[in-house]
Amino acid sequence: MQTMRTVAAISTPYGKGGVALIRITGEEAIAVAQRVAQRTAGISLADTPSAKAVRVTFTEKGEAFDDGLITLFRAPHSFTGEDTAELCCHGGLFLTQKLLGAVYAAGAFPAGAGEFTRRAFQNGKISLSQAEAVGGLIDAKSDRFLRVSLLQCRGALSEKLRSLTERLKLLIVSVYAYIDYPDEDMTDVPVPELQEHLRGLIGELQTLCDSHAYGRAISEGIRTVLIGKPNTGKSALLNALAGEDRAIVTEIPGTTRDVVREQVKLRDLLLNLSDTAGLRESDDPVEKLGVGRSLAALREAELVLAVFDGSTPPDEQDEEVLRQIRSCGKEANTVFLLNKADIKDADTAYRAFLPEGALSVSALQKSGLDRLEQAVRKKIGVGDVEADSLGEIVVGARQYAALSKAKAHLSDALAALDGFSQDVAGLDMEQALATLEEVDGRTASEEIVNEIFSHFCVGK
Amino acid sequence: MTTYQAESLDIAVIGAGHAGIEAALACARMGLRTALFTLTLDLVGNMPCNPSVGGTGKGHLVFELDALGGEMGKAANAVMLQSRMLNASKGPAVHSLRMQTDRVAYRAYMKRVLEQTEHLSLIQAEVVAIRVENGVLTGVETAFGAFYPATCAILCTGTSLKSRIFVGESISEAGADNTVPANRLSESLREAGIRLVRFKTGTPPRVHADSVDFSVMELQEGDADPVLFGSDAPAVNRLPCYVTYTNEETHRIIRENLHRSPLYSGEIVGTGPRYCPSIETKIMRFPDKERHQIFVEPMGLDTKEVYLQGLSSSLPEDVQKQLVHTIRGLEHCVFMRTAYAIEYDCCDPTQLDATLQFRTIRGLFGAGQFNGTSGYEEAAAQGLIAGINAALLCKGEPPLLLSRGESYIGTMIDDITVKGTDEPYRVMTSRSEYRLLLRQDNAKERLIGYGRHVGLVSEEAYADFLAEDTQKKQEIERLLREHLSPSEALDRLLTERGYAPAPSGIGKAEFLRRPFLSLEDLYALEDAPPALSPSVRRRVETELKYEGYIKRQLEEVHRFARMEEKRIPPDLDFASLGGLRLEARQKLSERRPETVGKASRIPGVSPADISVLLVALAQYGKGEQDENR
Repeated sequence: MQTMRTVAAISTPYGKGGVALIRITGEEAIAVAQRVAQRTAGISLADTPSAKAVRVTFTEKGEAFDDGLITLFRAPHSFTGEDTAELCCHGGLFLTQKLLGAVYAAGAFPAGAGEFTRRAFQNGKISLSQAEAVGGLIDAKSDRFLRVSLLQCRGALSEKLRSLTERLKLLIVSVYAYIDYPDEDMTDVPVPELQEHLRGLIGELQTLCDSHAYGRAISEGIRTVLIGKPNTGKSALLNALAGEDRAIVTEIPGTTRDVVREQVKLRDLLLNLSDTAGLRESDDPVEKLGVGRSLAALREAELVLAVFDGSTPPDEQDEEVLRQIRSCGKEANTVFLLNKADIKDADTAYRAFLPEGALSVSALQKSGLDRLEQAVRKKIGVGDVEADSLGEIVVGARQYAALSKAKAHLSDALAALDGFSQDVAGLDMEQALATLEEVDGRTASEEIVNEIFSHFCVGK
Repeated sequence: MTTYQAESLDIAVIGAGHAGIEAALACARMGLRTALFTLTLDLVGNMPCNPSVGGTGKGHLVFELDALGGEMGKAANAVMLQSRMLNASKGPAVHSLRMQTDRVAYRAYMKRVLEQTEHLSLIQAEVVAIRVENGVLTGVETAFGAFYPATCAILCTGTSLKSRIFVGESISEAGADNTVPANRLSESLREAGIRLVRFKTGTPPRVHADSVDFSVMELQEGDADPVLFGSDAPAVNRLPCYVTYTNEETHRIIRENLHRSPLYSGEIVGTGPRYCPSIETKIMRFPDKERHQIFVEPMGLDTKEVYLQGLSSSLPEDVQKQLVHTIRGLEHCVFMRTAYAIEYDCCDPTQLDATLQFRTIRGLFGAGQFNGTSGYEEAAAQGLIAGINAALLCKGEPPLLLSRGESYIGTMIDDITVKGTDEPYRVMTSRSEYRLLLRQDNAKERLIGYGRHVGLVSEEAYADFLAEDTQKKQEIERLLREHLSPSEALDRLLTERGYAPAPSGIGKAEFLRRPFLSLEDLYALEDAPPALSPSVRRRVETELKYEGYIKRQLEEVHRFARMEEKRIPPDLDFASLGGLRLEARQKLSERRPETVGKASRIPGVSPADISVLLVALAQYGKGEQDENR
C-alpha cells in the first residue's frame, strides 16, 4: 500500500506526433483517469482489467475533445509499484497539453524529473542499477548498448552485485563470530582461507571494473582526436567513418581551421571524434588558433588517430606531429595511419619512421578501416565481449567508482590480515560492503539517489 | 489495603541487581535522596548466571563504566579469581577483558558499598505499583502499603517481573536462583501505558568440584600478567578454569529428549537470545558440529560449586544428568543446581529516549534486563546512565547523552532505543562501527571528563588520569622525534621478524608501526626507556601502530555527526510528508526521532524516505512553499 501523492507527466517527446502518452501514477491514478476519460461502451473505467488497452473519449467539463486509449496497471503490478494509468491521445502539441491540463485539474500533480523511476526504486520494484539501465535503454545508440541496458534492466548486474555482497557478508560474519565468540570454537575461518576468499572477490570486482572501458566505449564514447600535418586526409577519414560528408575536404592544405566534432560508430564502439586543423607553423592567425586547439584536443584525448600521407616521404612536419604526440604522453594511446594507400602504398622508409604497427588505409576508398577497429580495441583495452557477459558490463561512472572503491577496501583488508589483525580487516570489509551496497542503492545516501534521478527527464 | 505515606525521595530505584546498584550509587553520590528497593537483601548484586564479569564487548562496557565513575569494575577487581584478555591476537580494538569472580564475595562487596553510601537507603520490599499523574511520575508503592513520593523512579527489575522457571515439564513461578517473583508491578506499568514484552534466558547446571575429574580436561589458566578493569594495581590469578567437550552421545541424548524441552514443546513463549543459546538449541542449529566446548568455572574461593558454561538448558533434570554424565571429566559429577530457562516481562525499549527515560512519563526510567538487554555489564552500564540522568533531571541540569562515536554504552543505548530489539540484546564489538576508536585502553580518555563533570569521578582520580595522559602524549612525541641508531641487535631483531636490516638505523615510531614489532621490542633496544605504567604503554603502542586507521575512523565520526546533528523539529508532522511510504510515516510518527541520523536507523525507514525527510526539513526552514513546486 502506497500513499504517495498522484503525479502525471507526458511520457512521449515534446513535439507534434501521431500519438502522445500521458502517464499517471499514485493512489488516485485511476480516479484521476476516470475524471478525464470515459469508456465508449459506457462501462465504468474502474471495471477495466489491468494491462489491457481500452478505447476512451477524453473530455473536459463534459465536452469531448479527443478519442484515445487507456491502459490501467494496478499496484503492485506496475512499473512504479503504484496504481498507474497510461493515457494515449493524438499527438498534437495543443491537444496533448490540453489533456495534461485536464489531468492536473482532475487532481494529479506535475511529476518531478525522473519521478516515475524514482518511485519504482523507492517502492522496491527496481534496484539502482536497474533504474540506471532504464536510462541506458533510452539513450542507446547501438544494438550492443541496447542489449546491455535491457539485461541490466531485467536485473543482471543487480544479481551479480547481490551475489558478491552476500559472499562478502558471510566473510564478515565469520570474522566477527570469531572475534565476538573467542571461546566458542565456532566459525573460525583461518586467515589464509579468509585471504583466499578475499582474493576471489577482488578478482571478480577487477573483472567488473575492467568491463567499464567497454561500457563507456559503447555508451558515452571514447574521446578521440584526429591529428596530423595538413592535407593528410584527416577530414576525409572522418567522413569515411561517419559515412557522410561531415567535414569539408579539399586538396588545399589547411582547409580545416577549427575542430570539427562528430560521434562515429566503429561497429559497437562509439568514438567522439575531433577532427583538428593540421599541425604546422603558420602565420595565418586563424590557422594558428586552430593549431592551438588541435594541441588542446590532443592533450585531452583518450585515443589518438595520427594520420600521415603515405604517398609522400615523411618530412619535418610529420616529425613535429610525432614530437607533439610524445610530448603529450599519448604514444601508447595512438593508432598510426598511413593514408592515401590508393595513390601509393607507404614504403619501408616511412614504416621505419613510425612506431611499429602503423596501418595502411585509404580514406577515399574506405579501405583498411576494419583493421582500424581491431587496432582501436587493442589501444583502449577492449576485446571482443562475449554475449553472455553483457549483463555484467559496468556502464556508469558512478558504478565504476563505487566498485573500484570497494575493491580498494578489500585489498586493504587483505593487507591488514597480513600484518595487523582481524579488527582492522573487518573494518575494511565492512566499508567494502557499504560501498558495494551503494551501487544498487541499498545503502544509498540521498545525494546519490537525487543525483541519479535528476538525470532522467520527466515522464520516464 | 490501606497505604501510608513514607518518606519523600528524589529517586526510587527498583531492583538491586547490577543495573539498580549502579543507578542507586550514582544518584546518591550525586547528592540525591535515594532508596534502593530489593526483593531480598541477601542477593544484592547477585550473579544468577556465570560467575564472571567482562568478555567480548562486555569488557569494553566495564572499562567505560569505570571511567564514568561506576562501581562494577572496582568490585570485580576486588574479588577476581582469574583474569584473561580475550582476542589478544586479533588487534587492540577487540581486546576484551574477562574476569572470573567470586560471586559471594562480589555480593558482600556491593552490599557493603551500598550500606556505606550517604543519601542511600537500602530497603527490602516489593514495589508493586508506580503512580503517574498527567504524564509525570509521583512515586512508588510497596507490597506493605508504603507510598514513597519520588521525583524519579528507575525500573531495574531484571528477570523478576512475572518470572517463570522451566526445568523440563516442571514449571514454577520463581525468579532467578529461586527468588520470589514480582507479580504485580507489570499490571501497574501496563496501566501507565507501557508496552511490555516477554523474553527468556537460561542458565547451566552447577556441580560439586570434588565429583569432577579435572585431570582429563584442558587447563585454562589466567594471563601471565593479569589485567584489572581500569587499574594498574598488581593482580594475582587464584583459580584456573577447565575446558571439556560434548560428544556424539551427548547430542544423541539431547535429540531423543527434545520433546521434553519446554522450548520445543511450546510452553515457553518468550524470545531467547540467539547468541547465548541453550545446548539443545546449539545441537539443533548446528547438527554437523561434532562437539561443543564446555568451560568449567569456579564459583568462588569458599565454595565447591563449579559452573558448566555452555550447557544452558531447559530439559528435565533426569535428561540433564544423563547428558552431562556423557561428558569427559563429568561422568560422575554430582548436581548441586539444575539448569533452567526463565521467562520474564520486560519493556519494549523503543519507548525510551537516549537518557533511558520513558518518553511519555516524565521521571520514569528503565535500565538493564527490564530494557530488553542481557548481561550484567549491559545492565550496569544502563543503570549508571539512567541514574546519572535521573539525578540531573532532579537537579534541573541538562542530561548526559553518550554518542555512538564515543562509547559502546552510547552505541547500546542508541541500538535499543532507536532500532529496538526482538531478543535479549547483548553488546558485541561488531555492534560498533567505530570500534578502532572505542577501545578498552582509551576508555578514560573518552569518558572520564563526563564522570568528573557529574561528580562521580574524584578530582584526585581525574588528576591521575591527566598525569598519565601527559605521559602518553610526551612518549608519542618522543618516539616520533627520535631515531634508533644502527646496531647489530637491531638488525638481528629485524631479520628475525622478517624485515630488511636497517644499516642507517630507523625512526622509533616507524619501527613501532611495523606489524611484527612491539613497544617492548623497542624498549629492549633503548638505553634508558621511560618507566611507564602498563596502561600508558598500551595506549602509546596502539595509537602509534594504528594511527592511520584511527584517523580514518575519526573522519567517519565527523561525517556521521553532520547527519546526526541535523535536528528534526519536535512539531514536524510526519503524516503530512508526501513521498514518505506508509510504513516510514507510521514508524517516524510513533518514535519521533530527534535527529535525521536516528531516523535513518529505524528499521523500516529506507534511504529514499530519508531523502524525502531531508527535502522536507530544507523547506521547513524556509517556511511555506508552493505546493506545485
